[in-house]
Amino acid sequence: MSCLKEKFDRLTTNGPEGMSALVDKFSELRGGYPEEMASSLVLPLLQLTQEAKGHLTESDAVFIADYLGVPAMQVVEALSWYTMLYREPVGRHVIKVCRNISCSLTGGGRLMGYLERRLGVRQGGTTADGRFTLLAVECLASCGTAPAMQVNDTYHERLTEARIDQILKELP
Amino acid sequence: MIELTIDNMTVQAHEGETVLQAALKHGIEIPHFCYHPCLSIAGNCRVCLVKVDGRPKLMPSCNLEATPGMRIETVSEEVLAARAAVMQFIILNHPGDCGICDKAGECRVQDYHVRYGEIDPVSIEPKHRKPKLYDLSPRISLDNERCILCSRCVRFTREVSGSHMLGIVERGCHSRVARLEGKVFDDPYSDNIISICPTGALLSRDFLYKSRVWYLEPVRSVCTGCARCCSVNVWRRRKRWHVRSLGAEKNAAAYRITPGENPEINGHWICNKGFDLHKAMGRPRALAPLIAGRSASVEEALQEGMKMLSEAVNPAALISAHASNEELEAFRIALGSRMRVYTREDHSPQPGEVLEDDLLIRADKNPNSRGVRELFGDRPYDATAGHDLVLVWGDLDDYAPLGKARILHLTSFVPPQGQSADLLIPISTVFERSGTFTNFEGKANRFDQVFDKPKLVQHAGELFGGLAA
Repeated sequence: MSCLKEKFDRLTTNGPEGMSALVDKFSELRGGYPEEMASSLVLPLLQLTQEAKGHLTESDAVFIADYLGVPAMQVVEALSWYTMLYREPVGRHVIKVCRNISCSLTGGGRLMGYLERRLGVRQGGTTADGRFTLLAVECLASCGTAPAMQVNDTYHERLTEARIDQILKELP
Repeated sequence: MIELTIDNMTVQAHEGETVLQAALKHGIEIPHFCYHPCLSIAGNCRVCLVKVDGRPKLMPSCNLEATPGMRIETVSEEVLAARAAVMQFIILNHPGDCGICDKAGECRVQDYHVRYGEIDPVSIEPKHRKPKLYDLSPRISLDNERCILCSRCVRFTREVSGSHMLGIVERGCHSRVARLEGKVFDDPYSDNIISICPTGALLSRDFLYKSRVWYLEPVRSVCTGCARCCSVNVWRRRKRWHVRSLGAEKNAAAYRITPGENPEINGHWICNKGFDLHKAMGRPRALAPLIAGRSASVEEALQEGMKMLSEAVNPAALISAHASNEELEAFRIALGSRMRVYTREDHSPQPGEVLEDDLLIRADKNPNSRGVRELFGDRPYDATAGHDLVLVWGDLDDYAPLGKARILHLTSFVPPQGQSADLLIPISTVFERSGTFTNFEGKANRFDQVFDKPKLVQHAGELFGGLAA
């Protein structure tokens, strides 16, 4: 956990300087939006910031609000509403295991238990080496190929314990 | 004008008015949490559902525009059943701690539960726990468990005060009202959200646990904080709840100030200074007449005052902008022609205070400057005019600028430290008399007497006749 913490401290305490590199990206995106629709940029900018920093804090929301000229509370509301915006530091790989009906019927719960034992964390937790964060999520829209999980931006379907072992082994 | 029928009663509504507004205007009660006449329509609480003839589902009346010939039912079995179900849902996670909640007795959730609900919610899950006694600001305590998420407070900061400082964060049953963690909620109108909160979620920290509200009653008064002259309600203990064991002070205390609805002047709102009016009136009082710093009886003081006035060759008066129009008139009749009259601002803006905004707050921090100006004009004190007596009416921090003149001071509060007037006569505060102030727009606003004046304190309006004799 310690190395992870240092990394995120470095990223978050950078504050405005850490953000200044992002502002170029912000401006590029802003060019494509009508002037009066600044608030439509709230989510894209939160996403951009998360990509750069790993997770988002209130000060990031305030920075984006100031940049767009919208009330900070509006950005904080959006940030807290979407579960895919992380408000706590996450590991290098985020594993999202579906817990909705089709996946549950085909063993999603069992696979979650397997992942918990294999990684040594409870769902919602991050491994001590900072490699993995394990999350339970709602429907991944992959019911026909259940059980499914998403690792970072990649879908993995028709999962078995053996397949999970292989996926984990192939991750950098 | 549109005609529609609500519960077999023909009512009239303006174009664009909603069914709820039309019903309330005609004394038909439809329960509502999230609707507020001065805020945008949210339509989230669902307790105002009504049956519209010809429509298959119940409709929220707050968001339903009245149309000609519409037939509405607000008390049919179907509506009452839906209302009870909505109430059941609203209090699903409500702690039901009315026994220790300041809002009990004036709480919509409590009232509607008794009137329309009375069915306990059914859930196999334990009630959700959320932050309690969260310090939303140094003035306001937030209990998220009691909150029903009607969003009135959030809409207030966005639509009325414009500070945008509150929001609803998280999702679903985790939703809660919050401010930015890293910022103080210092909206100058913040306390209004306590008044508009339909439940005990937002409570005044000043009033917290001071009294049950059913022991109190409101008296209509006027805020003296600025030239807007907002209507306020001053809450005092009901006479039949005066209890000897509480002591005289608690029986005769102003427990809290709430906005007095006045569409002509302040609408539904007042600023935080108005909410603190009882604190301003609680400053150390002048309670007994003083002749050159020594206490005296009322008769002696009046004798001395008459003597000072009759001996004076070139007397002047410094008129208070905290005097009521009636007192000003009494002064004008009794003494106005015998003295040179000057006007002044009793109170100037304090550091850190909002000077002026485009909602309510005015830069002139005195209530009746306009009334004074209309009777006596607008002349600041002239120290070179050689006055040998100055009648000072109202608060004054320092006698020094008045020069060598003798001073007859009429004041409600203790005079400047280390200085004594030649004669000081204590006068009543705005809470201890009735009258009117004329606000900066020229609108008169009436205040009623809340408390009896202390024994040796005089009403200024009744003094001048005696002093002139």
